[in-house]
Amino acid sequence: MRRLLGCVIVIMTIGSDVIAAEVGMPQLDPTYWASQAFWLILVFSLLYFSISKFYLPKIKKNIDDRENKIKEDLDEANRIKNLSEQKLKEYQQILENSKREVTKILLDSKLKLDKEIQNIKEKIEKEIDSEVSKVQKEILIQKKDSINSINIISQDIASNIIEKLSGDKLNESSVKAVVEDISKKNIEKYL
Amino acid sequence: MQQFNVYKIGPEIKISGLDLSFTNSSLFMVLSATAIALFLFFGSKDKRIIPNKVQLISELLYNFVAKMISDTAGSKAKPYFPFIFSLFMFVLLCNMIGMLPYAFTVTSHIIVTLIMALFIFIAVTIIGFLKHGFKYLSIFIPKGVPAILLPLITIIEIISYLSRPVSLSVRLFANMMAGHTMLKVFGGFVISLGVLGGWLPLSFSVALTGLEILVAFLQAYVFAILTCIYLNDALNLHH
Repeated sequence: MRRLLGCVIVIMTIGSDVIAAEVGMPQLDPTYWASQAFWLILVFSLLYFSISKFYLPKIKKNIDDRENKIKEDLDEANRIKNLSEQKLKEYQQILENSKREVTKILLDSKLKLDKEIQNIKEKIEKEIDSEVSKVQKEILIQKKDSINSINIISQDIASNIIEKLSGDKLNESSVKAVVEDISKKNIEKYL
Repeated sequence: MQQFNVYKIGPEIKISGLDLSFTNSSLFMVLSATAIALFLFFGSKDKRIIPNKVQLISELLYNFVAKMISDTAGSKAKPYFPFIFSLFMFVLLCNMIGMLPYAFTVTSHIIVTLIMALFIFIAVTIIGFLKHGFKYLSIFIPKGVPAILLPLITIIEIISYLSRPVSLSVRLFANMMAGHTMLKVFGGFVISLGVLGGWLPLSFSVALTGLEILVAFLQAYVFAILTCIYLNDALNLHH
C-alpha cells in the first residue's frame, strides 16, 4: 500500500514535470538566440581555421607520405627483383658456358690421350717387332749352328759306325760329303 | 524538456543590446571543438607508416569525408573540403557529446542548426552565382519538361530551393530533440514503474540509446552529404 502510494506520487510528479515542460519549448525561447549564434559562429570559425590550416594538411601529408613510401618501396622491390632475375640469368649463362667448356676440355684431353696412347702403342709394337725379328734371327743362326754341329756329330757317329762294322777307316771327307748330302736332302724336315 | 534549457554561465556579456553571455550551449560547443582539435592533434602528431589508433581513425575520417565529397560533388569541390570536414566533425561531436548523461546537445536547438543551414544556403547560392552568373538561375528550370508544366515546375523548384535551409536545419534539430525527448520519456517510465515494471522501459531505453548514437552519426553524415549535394548543384550546373 505504501509502495503503491509512493509510485503514484512519483508518477504524478514526473507527469506534471513532463506537462510543465511541454508548455514551452526552450528552443523557441529567443532570450539566448543571439548568444548561441554568436558563440556558434566564433567557435566554428576557430575550428574551421585550425582544421583547414593545421590539421588537414598534416593528415593529408601523412597519408601522401605513406602512399609515396609504399610506392617507393614497391618500386625498389621491383627493381631488386629485376636485378636478381638478371643476375640469375647471368649465373645460368656462366654455368652453361663453363659446362660447355668442361665438355670441350674433356673431349680435347680424351683425344690427346688417345693419340698419345696410340703413339706409345705403335712404338712399343715396333720395339716388340724388332726384338722378335732379332730373336728369330738368333734362333735361325742357332738352328744353323745346331745343324752344323749335328752334321759333325752325325759324321763322327757315321764314321765310327762304319769303322766298327767294317773295320776300315773311311775317308773323312767322303763321309762328310754323304752326311751333308743327306742332311741337305732332309733339312726341310728339321727346320 | 529541462535538458534543452539554456542558461548563463559566468558574467553577462552585452554588446549593443544583444545578450551574448557564455551559456551551457556555448560551453558544449567549445567542448566539442576542443575534442575535435585534440583528437586531430593526436591524430596528426606522429608521422608513422603504420598508424596508431587515433591516427588511423582520423585518417579514416579524412578519407571518409574526402570520398563523400568526391562522390557527390566531384573534383571541383576540393577547396570546400576543409569546411565540409569541419562541419561533419562539429555536428558529429555535438551530437555524440549530447548523448552523454547530463550533457547539453548543441544541435538540438533550432537556432544553431538554422544558422549553419542558412550559412550553407547563402554560401552555396553565392558560389553558384559566382561560378555561373545568371545562368545559375537555370537550376530552377529542369530539362525535358513540357512547356505547359514549366511555370508550375519552376515555382516548385524555387520553393524547394528556398526550403533547403529549413529542411536541413529542422531535420537535424528535430532528430536530436525527438531522440533526447524519447530517451527522457522512457527514463521517466523506468522511474514511475519502479523495480517491478521498470525493466521493460529500461531495456527500451538501452536500445534507444544505441539507436540514438546511430542517429547522431547518421544525422551528421546526412547534414554533410546534403551540403555536398547543394554544393554539387552550385558547382556543376547540369540539370
